[in-house]
Amino acid sequence: MDNVLVLKDYKTVPDIVHEYEPTLKFGHIPLVIDNGSYQCRVGWSINDEPHLIFKNLIARPRKDRCKKDAEPPVTPPIQIGNDIINIEAVRFQLKTQFDKNVVTHFEVQELVCDYIFSHLGLDSDGCVPHPIVMTEAFVTPNYSRQLMSELLFEGYGVPALSYGIDSIFSFYKNNIGDSGLIVNCGYHTIHIIPVIRGKVIAEHARRINLGGSEIISYLHKLLQLKYPVHVNAITMSRIEEILHEHCSIALDYQDEIKKWANPDYYDMYVKKIQLPYVQNTSSSTLTAEQQKERKKEMARRLLEINARKREERLAEDEEQLQQLLAIQDLIEEGDTDEFEEAIKTFDIKSYADLQRQIAIVQGRIDKNKQRIAAAANPEEVEVRPSGRMQPPQDPEAFQTWLAETRAKYSEIVSRREARRARRAAMVRRRTAAAAERMRVISRLAAAGDEFGNQDSDWDVYKSISREADSDSDADGERLLELEEALREHEPAPSSSLHHQLHLAIEPYRAPELMFQPSMMGNPEAGLAESMEYVFKHFSAEDQLLLANNVFLTGGCSQFPGLKERLEKELLEMRPFQSTHKVVMAGDPSLDAWYGARDFAGSNDFESCCITKEDYYEMGGEYLKEHHASNRYYRSPPPIVDNTLAPAGDANVVKEEIVVDC
Amino acid sequence: MTGESERTYCFKTENKFIVKSGCKKRMWRSLKQILVADRALPWTEDAVLYYSINAPPTFKPTKKYSDISGLPAPYMDRHSKLYYSNAEEFATVRNLPMDITAGYLQLRGATTIVG
Repeated sequence: MDNVLVLKDYKTVPDIVHEYEPTLKFGHIPLVIDNGSYQCRVGWSINDEPHLIFKNLIARPRKDRCKKDAEPPVTPPIQIGNDIINIEAVRFQLKTQFDKNVVTHFEVQELVCDYIFSHLGLDSDGCVPHPIVMTEAFVTPNYSRQLMSELLFEGYGVPALSYGIDSIFSFYKNNIGDSGLIVNCGYHTIHIIPVIRGKVIAEHARRINLGGSEIISYLHKLLQLKYPVHVNAITMSRIEEILHEHCSIALDYQDEIKKWANPDYYDMYVKKIQLPYVQNTSSSTLTAEQQKERKKEMARRLLEINARKREERLAEDEEQLQQLLAIQDLIEEGDTDEFEEAIKTFDIKSYADLQRQIAIVQGRIDKNKQRIAAAANPEEVEVRPSGRMQPPQDPEAFQTWLAETRAKYSEIVSRREARRARRAAMVRRRTAAAAERMRVISRLAAAGDEFGNQDSDWDVYKSISREADSDSDADGERLLELEEALREHEPAPSSSLHHQLHLAIEPYRAPELMFQPSMMGNPEAGLAESMEYVFKHFSAEDQLLLANNVFLTGGCSQFPGLKERLEKELLEMRPFQSTHKVVMAGDPSLDAWYGARDFAGSNDFESCCITKEDYYEMGGEYLKEHHASNRYYRSPPPIVDNTLAPAGDANVVKEEIVVDC
Repeated sequence: MTGESERTYCFKTENKFIVKSGCKKRMWRSLKQILVADRALPWTEDAVLYYSINAPPTFKPTKKYSDISGLPAPYMDRHSKLYYSNAEEFATVRNLPMDITAGYLQLRGATTIVG
């Protein structure tokens, strides 16, 4: 199989600002927000599709601290959702409002809400005049809901608000009856939620704290460890792409991985992913020949420069010599005054000094002339072999030479390995090598006068030495030589091969985390085991109701093979000859939004909303229950520890006791 | 009332949680802290809370897979504590640098000193 998969490196497209039509503006149309920990989907209840789908992330660039105080600090804009074009560039500045599947960071949530409302084109003054349907996590803590209500009612002045659970919206959207076992595979969690006759049995629902993000980071790390060279090229977004497009769930994981142990199967089915790479044309394709040419060219240019310099210096010296000789002529003519004048300008003290200067300059000129003569014909000196190992020119002979060199190389390597292993074994006691060494030493001690008659006798010391001996030094040198020769003459493999990821078990191994969280050290039960656990809490009839309607939803349920795997697991865990059925959501990622939209358009939507009055009356954590909502449990007041109460209060209690008597 | 931010939208009455850059930031409780606070409250018997629906711990024996290849691994290298499945892998495991072995162990969640 030679087709290599190429990564597409998807880029996001920034969202447009949608038009805020008058029908929306004056119609009090509900706004539906599926606030998922992976993606946020937003749209009006009268539309077929959500207007905005973006990753629930913001990138807050850091301020430049190095700038001086004089300039006002320039705050780069915060990027939100689809504004982030290249997510890898801002990977370390990313923030999300979610901690697992619950919103905890409300400053980020407010920024995201700003993004939502501004991109829907809202222009109303001082409030968002639309009821809002917002999804929240199954059994969201009251604290989180309270802050969300506070944000929406007080920050945006929404008139009404309704919360619902994404997976249950999706369940009802798919219209598959009022009983079933919802399996919602999300970005951070997997929920198993039993619904019996339209009632969510929350106390028997279970949540596995593992989801798409964990699977992605597992695969990310796995591949980074497998290919340490490409650590930087293996990015989270590429892994996400691999996960979305090439990963699947094995029907029987044990069987699957056993198949991969067979090298032929591996070669047949291994997935090759091509990482982007830069073809380094200049250095590798020019190869030795051209590099040598280039080097020669450089040397030639250097020589030229030197020669020019020498000539300049020669001319300078000759001129100086002429001047000095002219001065000498002066004194020979007997013109002492002029001579005195002249030597002053040349900073020369006496006639003797002048003589010496002339001699020096003359010497310099002679030397330079010699050098120029030597540099004029350098070819004779230059020629020397570039390496000790010269391959034959003939291509066929070259191949045999290459093979021989490789064989020699591997032979030396294995010899060195063997020697190293023996030495390591010798250091330890009670190994065969150590025993052999002791035997040789004792024989040496008993050796007679004959020892040393032959040179090979001395090799005994090599075999008992614990240090690296001369043999290994020699081998090391030879190894270096061969290595260099191979590097120089071996045809370079195409660099695309160096930038390929080979995926064998990995595409099955990462999603398998859903069934075996223990693979990443998570002590929780996997999906199948947790389902079995949930089943145990129900009567036989109810179990059958659930098993006949196992409903798969959530983005992570889109792995190919998950449905079949669940069917197989159900077959194993359910009683013999009982029936079961797994239903996939029509659109696992978007059905929650569609369901919430249908709910917002239904007649009894009004009665399921928390109004502003309710909010001020009942507090932020209040929730109007409906078919797809969480149950509302009012937070009890915290326990007041009386033992720590101040003394004054204690006195009051005492008095009461007296009155009672 | 919190400070106004540089960018305000007409549809907002106030910036509820966004603070101006430079002002003191509000510390947000993490989910863990929220759950701890929840646990301290005297809830009624029937209340189902976030922490009460955690998946049960697994009761099945966990399978061992080779850290480097993912194959079933009957052996463990005593030196590095990595699992491996055959002799060939053992040679590889033995030659892995420290940071890679540590990475594999961390990936498997086996970094505790006791384990």
